[in-house]
Amino acid sequence: MKFSYNWLSELLYGAPADPAELTHLITMKTAECEGVVPFAPWLAQVVAARVIEVAPIEGSHNVVAQVDAGPVHGRKQVVCGAPNCRIGITTAYVPAGVSLGDKQILKAVIGGVESDGMLASAAELAINRDHSGIIEIEAAPGAPLPGLSPDYVIEVDNKSLTHRPDLWGHFGMARELAAITGAKLKDPVNLSLLPSGDPLYTVDIEDHSLAPRYSALVFENVTVQPSPLWLQARLEAAGMNSINNIVDVTNFIAAELAEPMHAFDADKLNGTTISVRRAKSGEPYDALNGETYTLEPRHLVIADAGGAIALAGVIGGAGSAINDQTTRIVLESANFEATGIRRTSSEMKLRTDASMRFEKAQDPNNTVRALARAVELLAIVSPGIRLRGGLIDNFKAPPAPPPIALPMEWLVRKLGRPIEAAEVRAILESLEFGVSEPTPGVFSVTVPSWRATKDITIKDDLLEEVGRMVGYGSIPPVPPLKPVQRPWVNHERLFHHDIRQAVAAQGFTETYNYSFVSDSMALRFGFEPASHIRVSNPISVEQSLMRISLLPGIHKNIVDNARYSGEFRLFEIGNEIHKREGGALPHEIPHLMAAIHTKGDGTAAFHELKRLAECLMPGCDVIPTPVGQASSLQGAFSPAVAGQASSPAYEHPARAAVITWRGERTGRIFELHPLLVESGRASILDLDLEVLFKLGPAPKRYQPLRRFPSSSFDLSVVASLRTLAGELGSQISSAAGSNCESVEFLYSYQGQPLPDDKQSLSYRITVSAPDHTLSSEELTAIRASIIEALKSAGYDLRG
Amino acid sequence: MIESTLSELESRAAALIDAAASPDSLESARVEFLGRKGALASIGKDMGKLPPDERAAAGKLLNAVKQNLESRFDARKSAFDKAALDARLAAEWIDVTRPAPGVRPGSLHPLTLIQSELEEYFTSLGFAVVDGPEVETEWHNFDALNIPAAHPARDAQDTFWLEDGHLLRTHTSPVQVRAMEKFGAPLRIIAPGRVFRNEEVDASHEHTFYQLEGMMIDKDVSVAHMLYFMKGLLEAIFNREVTVRLRPGFFPFVEPGFELDIKCLICGGPGCPVCKQSGWVELLPCGLVHPNVLRSGGIDPEQWNGFAFGLGLTRLVMMRYAIDDIRHLASGDLRFLRQF
Repeated sequence: MKFSYNWLSELLYGAPADPAELTHLITMKTAECEGVVPFAPWLAQVVAARVIEVAPIEGSHNVVAQVDAGPVHGRKQVVCGAPNCRIGITTAYVPAGVSLGDKQILKAVIGGVESDGMLASAAELAINRDHSGIIEIEAAPGAPLPGLSPDYVIEVDNKSLTHRPDLWGHFGMARELAAITGAKLKDPVNLSLLPSGDPLYTVDIEDHSLAPRYSALVFENVTVQPSPLWLQARLEAAGMNSINNIVDVTNFIAAELAEPMHAFDADKLNGTTISVRRAKSGEPYDALNGETYTLEPRHLVIADAGGAIALAGVIGGAGSAINDQTTRIVLESANFEATGIRRTSSEMKLRTDASMRFEKAQDPNNTVRALARAVELLAIVSPGIRLRGGLIDNFKAPPAPPPIALPMEWLVRKLGRPIEAAEVRAILESLEFGVSEPTPGVFSVTVPSWRATKDITIKDDLLEEVGRMVGYGSIPPVPPLKPVQRPWVNHERLFHHDIRQAVAAQGFTETYNYSFVSDSMALRFGFEPASHIRVSNPISVEQSLMRISLLPGIHKNIVDNARYSGEFRLFEIGNEIHKREGGALPHEIPHLMAAIHTKGDGTAAFHELKRLAECLMPGCDVIPTPVGQASSLQGAFSPAVAGQASSPAYEHPARAAVITWRGERTGRIFELHPLLVESGRASILDLDLEVLFKLGPAPKRYQPLRRFPSSSFDLSVVASLRTLAGELGSQISSAAGSNCESVEFLYSYQGQPLPDDKQSLSYRITVSAPDHTLSSEELTAIRASIIEALKSAGYDLRG
Repeated sequence: MIESTLSELESRAAALIDAAASPDSLESARVEFLGRKGALASIGKDMGKLPPDERAAAGKLLNAVKQNLESRFDARKSAFDKAALDARLAAEWIDVTRPAPGVRPGSLHPLTLIQSELEEYFTSLGFAVVDGPEVETEWHNFDALNIPAAHPARDAQDTFWLEDGHLLRTHTSPVQVRAMEKFGAPLRIIAPGRVFRNEEVDASHEHTFYQLEGMMIDKDVSVAHMLYFMKGLLEAIFNREVTVRLRPGFFPFVEPGFELDIKCLICGGPGCPVCKQSGWVELLPCGLVHPNVLRSGGIDPEQWNGFAFGLGLTRLVMMRYAIDDIRHLASGDLRFLRQF
């Protein structure tokens, strides 16, 4: 909302603070100002000048004019391109040296002719958008332009006015300034201008809960013409376009009193009854903006005998719009229920100056005030205009809200600083609240109508009024005196932090990816789009689905970073979001996904992730998944593959494993399918942190240390190439019997003298007994029983 | 007679020991003269043949010669040992400037760092750290926070709606309600987390960002109490004294509502591009909890009240680390992430 400093000043007796100070006060006490900018500051230097001679310039559409610019500037020669530059008119003269915004007017030679200053159009002076010609005014040469002076525009953040219907007009803001600065408010409304007598129209309101009030006046002998420049400049400062004198007056009043109005061409209305009713189902409506809408009963319309003539509180109709031929108007000043207006304007995507005000819940008492103001202004802008008939007014006043009890002692406790009752009363009265004190120490506060629609209903609202006016800066920070209570501990969150620390310590860098994926991203990994929750209103396809795996994001990280780096490690902890039946909120499952990208053959990376898994889950089992069929992955992935029992389509079918820990499946390690990573190889660890957290840390219990020394010996076993080292180790361990302490895998060997289809796997076996030192006979016996077991299982041993 | 033999032996042995060029020749000199079968030992054996009156003097002389040679030998020996050790140490030079082997530690995301820090700070003040779902009900995200349907305040929060009828939370404020439901009063919580707004992404706008919600509910909580926590919070974040100012701000879930500004840490007040020449940076919307919100959470506003605030973590991270483009945070670009 833009406020004109001059306009605000005119609504106050006594000069307010300077614009910058005023802006600061508004920010600190009322609403956030986004800034204050000068409006047409050059108007202080521009003067009226009469054109006394005009001569053509050969070969140019410009003319050279001699003007009388008054006693200070004298006679000037100016080159002018305006078509209306003619002898006898009085226009605006901009002396050389004056800047119009970033354009400085200089003495110049234009087309060989000397030009000292400039004759200006209204658009060049930035008082409206009319650049069809230089302005024509009535004023003595050398005088300031009548009704036009430099101004400042204070822009207030609309969001901070959401709760203040009254601040959508200058008068409301002037009232705030009166309370803040102590200046006296000047009411521009003279209610005695309202006519008495019988109205020409009757108003039929179907449901007063949707339209509490509909007021109107009828005018005849109307002349539709451009507004005077002062009015155009005011609208321009407030950010509105000038249309014509009648529309401009309605917009002026909206910007002054926050009451949106609408003028109908009375000769285009059917009958003498104006209805405020719900639209009929499928009722067509041609709006002023040239669009046709199909209405439903949820929309409120203003209608005559012929149908809808306005979409209530949002936009007028094309059929009843005023134009140059209009001579009689019906001027509507109504009050509509806020949420209905907001629903309609949101649905129609029609955010008009009217709907923006109505949706804040305007004061129904304001309709007739606005009409009284219009009587005064229309007489100025449309000379000869006459009222016809009395005030049209249908009003069912909502019940007056009860007064609010405001205990002083409560107020002081909530504010956290002492304040005298007299000061509280003075503040509230300056904002035009009614204050009485039926019980000592408790004020009974009545709310003025313009704050009573929604804004102020409870004592907490009054706390804000008092607090902001005394100034929040006067409240000192004070620590509360409250009993200490041990806070609830969010173990799951701490667990996630611990995991983050551990994973980062192992060399992985944390990334944060979006919770969104696109359909094509999902399909690329074999995830069925239909199994995702879909966003109804995505900005782009990239945000269509809620992720059911961190993989698409991590994959993108891998591909992106592979452009700069060959080997890297990264991870994310984030939520998978899975559908749940029956309208319940989705299941958000926290996962850890860690990845290593390498230019190597991928084996080391895979095992490094296995080590990471073991750091997080000491003693976990990494179980190979059945080797899948590589042929299922030619070219594009088929979504169906994901549903199969074997490895998901995005996994390398021969490099994938399930992780189990303490009896639960906790995640997977796999290499990404080579078709998904062209830059090298990428291995992934995916852990379900919900399962992991439920398992809790592995229980720890002290085991007595072995008192007798242990002995070790090594064995090398010849086995087929795909013999699992882990399985073979388990076999050795169980063959070694109860005295086996550990079986440690040392290394594998392939090559001479072994045949091509064999490898040798070497282990170190450590044994000891709890109650004595093992003798060499016992050691030999253990060794022999291992060898025997291996041989009977079909393995050979290397010397 | 024996004197001259010993003297001659002593000078010969001393010469050999002194001249030994290596530990080996030193050792053979020791064996020759000081060994069990060496020259001095054999003289010692002959000592018995001397007449008793000469024996004592000869024995004394022999010991003196032996001690002299032994100490010469020890000195020489330790010189060799020292030289050998020095040589070994010198040979063991390493290039300390070579890179350390092994995987470098990774790093945590700046948003993680700031969350952990603030969680610690508030835990120390007796606040619980609470999580809420990222997908929320319309009721928790709006209605329960005193933002009914068709309330103009919904404009300020462009919402992602989901086809299942839920929405992506537009702020962490719904956790206020969830915490009240779970814990009742009195209550001190913070709720850091991911929030979503339906906005186009550019250098300063994101559809996904992080907030930290805070709430304290107790008996007679005042604006002065709120200010105490807010000022402390900002001083913990910036690790220095800060000047704050409180001014009116409208948020339907608080009454009164405030914007808390911090005096610009870059220019200190006169105005600069960071504070848009105003000298103040808007950082912390806050206020006293609206009675309707307490009721939504099942808490009686006649008995209890409190304050709440919402801190934009993403904005804070950008301020603290001077990050000029919000898109870096979700880029997954390790060149960016490894800086933290």
